[in-house]
Amino acid sequence: MAEEENPVAEFEEIDFLKDRHVIFFQRCLQILPERYSSLETSRLTIVFFALSGLDMLNTLDVVDKPSLIEYVYSLQVLPTEDKSNLGRCGFRGSSHLGIPYNPSKGPGVNHPYDSGHVAMTYTGLACLIILGDDLSRVNKEACLSGLKALQLEDGSFYAVPEGSENDMRFVYCAACICYMLDDWSGMDIKKAIDYIRRSMSYDNGVSQGAGLESHGGSTFCAIATLCLMGKLEEIFTEKELNRIRRWCIMRQQNGFHGRPNKPVDTCYSFWVGATLELLEVFQYTNFEKNRNYILSTQDRLVGGFAKWPDSHPDALHAYFGICGLSLIGEYNLRKVHPALNVSRRAFEHLQHLHQTWRAQNSNPHTESVPICT
Amino acid sequence: MSAAEDEKLNPELQEEHQNQEEGDVEPEMEYGDEIGMGYVFYRDRKEWADVDAVPQDDGPNPIVKIAYSDKFMDVFDYFRAVLQRDERSERAFQLTADAIELNAANYTVWHYRRVLVQSLQKDLHEEMKYITAIIEDQPKNYQVWHHRRMIVEWLKDPSQELEFIADILSQDAKNYHAWQHRQWVIQHYNSHSKRSVAQQNRYNLLQPTIGQAPVEFRQTHAGLCPPETGSSLTSALEILQDHCLSTYPNLLEQILELQQTHSSPYLIAFLVDMYEDMLENACSNQEETLNNALELCDLLAKEKDSIRKEYWKYIGGCLKNKYGTTEESKSPSEEQ
Repeated sequence: MAEEENPVAEFEEIDFLKDRHVIFFQRCLQILPERYSSLETSRLTIVFFALSGLDMLNTLDVVDKPSLIEYVYSLQVLPTEDKSNLGRCGFRGSSHLGIPYNPSKGPGVNHPYDSGHVAMTYTGLACLIILGDDLSRVNKEACLSGLKALQLEDGSFYAVPEGSENDMRFVYCAACICYMLDDWSGMDIKKAIDYIRRSMSYDNGVSQGAGLESHGGSTFCAIATLCLMGKLEEIFTEKELNRIRRWCIMRQQNGFHGRPNKPVDTCYSFWVGATLELLEVFQYTNFEKNRNYILSTQDRLVGGFAKWPDSHPDALHAYFGICGLSLIGEYNLRKVHPALNVSRRAFEHLQHLHQTWRAQNSNPHTESVPICT
Repeated sequence: MSAAEDEKLNPELQEEHQNQEEGDVEPEMEYGDEIGMGYVFYRDRKEWADVDAVPQDDGPNPIVKIAYSDKFMDVFDYFRAVLQRDERSERAFQLTADAIELNAANYTVWHYRRVLVQSLQKDLHEEMKYITAIIEDQPKNYQVWHHRRMIVEWLKDPSQELEFIADILSQDAKNYHAWQHRQWVIQHYNSHSKRSVAQQNRYNLLQPTIGQAPVEFRQTHAGLCPPETGSSLTSALEILQDHCLSTYPNLLEQILELQQTHSSPYLIAFLVDMYEDMLENACSNQEETLNNALELCDLLAKEKDSIRKEYWKYIGGCLKNKYGTTEESKSPSEEQ
């Protein structure tokens, strides 16, 4: 049975305005107005959205990679001379504490309140990978110490050692950090898995924590974490996986929403779409309706995407809108790695790095001296 | 320019001044107005003369730079300064309020404020009033809810919480932070009930019992549009997904009856799942059960849930492969 044509849609412009989005991300990387001040402590995540977005668009060459790499490294919280702050190491979201600029050359400074943030360590490492860096200035032991300090008894993670909320988002960030550093000693895997299992809801979605409402974002975080660990089929039975598949696929209305009875939102085309891809059933979704929705939220004037049509675009929705289209196989977009949330190209660079590290580890005589201790 | 001259040139200021004189509610001020109304930068306050402001340092090539106003930068330059020296003082405490007003998402400011609350032994009930107002204004901010949780923990007093959360939920019934806080309060402080909150929610849904649920469902939805997702019936059935048939052998009959008048995709999908359960448990009429399930998958794909037609075709294919006879499990020719 042929689907009904919407005569209005035929006249609507629903083409993907690649050039606009390149300009949009470039603008994000430059300067934002004061009304974006709430993003100060998470500026590094905006860098990630812009860089990974440009990578998906295959236009990373418009940025000055070396100076971006320096900037990201300036956000690393390094161990002090006496190594008393190892449990606080990682990456900052920005220079908001006023620590003098230092692109990871030499030891850290003593500051009573300087510490990494798990989402910034994750996006910092991801940015370096995307930019083609070899992570040689990353103090891996310090990052992993900092990460260990954030895990709670129930298996979930704080964002910062001073304490914060704890939920599935930070479990995912922690998993990405371990995955990128190729070192799972940064967490108690068993406890993290236990937290994930206990967060599966009676309706077969996954919540931010036990007893809470199931949600597209936390479902992605849980499934992607298990995939990065290589444990998806070990932890869930086929029956359970089928139930999760059902919960996820029911989120499609045209685009996707994050919870039953909520409006659709462009970013869920990635959160739920990527989950379905990891569960190998994304191919059974309705590509046309999904694509049409995402493009309806495109800002034709300034570029980028918004959560809803006729709304202001932002870096997050621009990035996830593009990733949502990438999952569908949109022409001229790189493929997104559905678990690690970087382009396949960036993922391959990471795999290459891992091969180099493992070769070095098996032959200690060829180990290179780290530039930064 | 004096404040008076400023007022004459700016009609909005004039109006605000009048309102204040008439004893009206404090008008919203644009930050620029404050400069005319007597706002003093921290760098010009003599009681702060002993402190050197600490600017942000983004190095030679700043990325994602935010274009702060003079006032914003001034407040945070002084915040960075007291933070660095870990100053525990009343002036630092008041500074955190100014910083929060400009950016309530800065988790370091909130943490430092908590350090000061404890250090200076501030009145926690006053702090509760403060955080209540801020959450009402910014109910989707993570930091403000975390701050409230810490204050409640220190006070060991959850008595205001349920009412407060109910008020937030009356403005947005789906605020995830609010529900999360509510669950925490109940779990942390509910010494009477041994059951978890999630269990309590489920028990609420199961009143009446599952046997009566179809009746209630019909009554609730009679004459209304098709039941939306997450209805009490589907939720109740989801909870029993592993035990339905063994516990309620007449359930299939009841659901089939309900299908006549309320054939929502959720209900039909549930029937497919029930049939699959029966097939898995080697029920007596395998062929008939399989055919019923396949028919429903077809109905969903073609009519009732066509957005997911590829998925329902896939589900039908899986069932056929698993439970069909050799004849049936041959892939059928694609239907157009």
